[in-house]
Amino acid sequence: MRSSPKSKLSKSAIKAWRVSTTLFMVVLILVPLLIWLFSFFGGDAFSPWLLLSITIILIIMAALCIFFIPEIRWRRWSYDIDQHEIDLQSGIFIITRTLVPIKRVQHVDTRQGPILRSYELADVTISTAATTHRIPALNEKTADEVRDQISKFARLAKEDV
Amino acid sequence: MSEPQRQHPVAAITKALDIIRGNFITILILIFIGGGDQAVFTLYWILGTIVALLVWGVISWLRFSFQVEEGELRIEQGVLIRKKLYLTSDRIQVIDISAGIVQRLFGLVAVEVKTAGSSSKEAKISALTQSKAEELKEKLRHGQAPQAVQEAEDEEEKKFVKKYTLDTKDLLIAATTSGRMGVALSVVGAIFSQIDQLISEEQMYQLIETHIPRSTSLSLVIMSAIAILVVAWMLSFVSTIIAYYDFEVEVRDNELLIGRGLFERTQLTIPFNRIQAVQVKEELMRQPLGYVSLVIESAGYGDSQGNSATLFPLIKKGDMYTFLEEVIPEYNYTINDGYQRVPRRALRRYLLRMLWWTLPVILLAWGTVPYGYYAWLLLVPAMLLGYQQYRDAGIRNEDGTLVLSSRLLSKKTAIVKKYRTQATIIKQNPFQRRLNLHDFTVHVASGNQGRSFGVRDLADDTVYEFWQWMEVSEKVSTDPQKNNENGYMPPIEG
Repeated sequence: MRSSPKSKLSKSAIKAWRVSTTLFMVVLILVPLLIWLFSFFGGDAFSPWLLLSITIILIIMAALCIFFIPEIRWRRWSYDIDQHEIDLQSGIFIITRTLVPIKRVQHVDTRQGPILRSYELADVTISTAATTHRIPALNEKTADEVRDQISKFARLAKEDV
Repeated sequence: MSEPQRQHPVAAITKALDIIRGNFITILILIFIGGGDQAVFTLYWILGTIVALLVWGVISWLRFSFQVEEGELRIEQGVLIRKKLYLTSDRIQVIDISAGIVQRLFGLVAVEVKTAGSSSKEAKISALTQSKAEELKEKLRHGQAPQAVQEAEDEEEKKFVKKYTLDTKDLLIAATTSGRMGVALSVVGAIFSQIDQLISEEQMYQLIETHIPRSTSLSLVIMSAIAILVVAWMLSFVSTIIAYYDFEVEVRDNELLIGRGLFERTQLTIPFNRIQAVQVKEELMRQPLGYVSLVIESAGYGDSQGNSATLFPLIKKGDMYTFLEEVIPEYNYTINDGYQRVPRRALRRYLLRMLWWTLPVILLAWGTVPYGYYAWLLLVPAMLLGYQQYRDAGIRNEDGTLVLSSRLLSKKTAIVKKYRTQATIIKQNPFQRRLNLHDFTVHVASGNQGRSFGVRDLADDTVYEFWQWMEVSEKVSTDPQKNNENGYMPPIEG
């Protein structure tokens, strides 16, 4: 097996991921806080210690997810595209390597949510008859290039399902 | 068939029945709410619903028309929203002709047309006479003629029609040893768990005292376990008989025709060029008897049973190779030897995995059921199963074909053409990293979801070797024409 794929994701992917994880974690931490408020004003369903420990655990998890995971994820992610296949490597703890023959690609598109847009990033999604793969957080320009490149190769190598 | 056609009027009834089947629970709730306590009202309600459904059925029958025009199947339908569906015949992958109970009463058939990636029931013509269905099928297949000719080159040997049937003895063996037991078991278990809501505990005790006096609670636990097993077995027996009654496979020029079923006869047409992979299943109870069953994965064919079709429900392992050689020779590979096995250091991962799976069950049984501590005995078969999984796991390649062998409960051997794979994925978690192991998975198209076959905990070297083989295979494509096209392409940087 040749070594890991060469192309990396955009460096600002880390920032974008941090923002989205932070938003998610804030929502998650709001839940015990709301319960806390609820029990403060009359309700007495939960012990405050339980709530406190859950909140602390959540905060620690949130810190890990926000500060370390995006960095590790970025370092693991790499991809390669040539006229024969798409080669992806990803994972945080479990490392996954995916090989997609280019002639199996049915369609490829770029997607962009509000967070990715503010960092000028976009995801590339590759679909085959059986699976869907995603190269996340590329530069808008690179994403468009990658999409067009894959689509071109796929058209050339086209074969029936 | 250039004029738009209607279905047979019976379609109105099948439409009504389809709606009932689709909204069974809603209808039940409606009946309960609408009826209240008075039985007369309930009756009116039910009758009213039936009349309304029939009217709807008639209207949708009137609004449904189909025709074959310029090699396209055109269906127009919809009562409130008008839908037009145009299917090009060379996109059609499977034409399903089946006959449910209603259709059989009137000597009709239903025709369902499937394409890759479409799962909708929209391209279903639910009542047609047999001759019209054949005519329609001929027309649609005719549109595919150029492709069929191309396919015929690979299938020179298939000029004459061959037919294989499942005889009664084999059907009975298949039913007796059916692997559907697991599903049936959970159904029966669910019913048993509801019983105590119907009958109070005292009534239960009374019943037991009168019918089986001198019973201890241990023997009761054992007896109820046996009762559940027997009922589950009977269910699976009957459902297998119903599903595989009068099973036959017909080999045609460029397609397979599979027919089966007691009450509802299903007929499947699978073109050879749609076959994505073949699976040989050695069910737990059948393996000692030397029987296997064969399953085909084909693109664009979606069945309720997880998008794969049974090619043959029961066959002696020895006869399997002759069968494969005659039906689909390109998938005839030995499933026993030549594997690269899982290294010995992976054994403990296989055993531990079984431990993690059985432990919750054991602890649950220990904590809740009387005499539950006997559940610890489960560890023995679990460990044996884990060891057997380790023994059976293997991977090998032979001229463009990948053979993957693994076991969960039953041993399954997947035979996959390299050029049919949609994606190859290897995975390694931190524990595997320490032991230099990888999981290896390939995906093929099957139905809408696709299907994956994998082997766990293979040695790194093996995995790299097969990864490279999958890669290289693309560069030395099986189709020289495609290769040339690739050759013209400029090199790129990702």
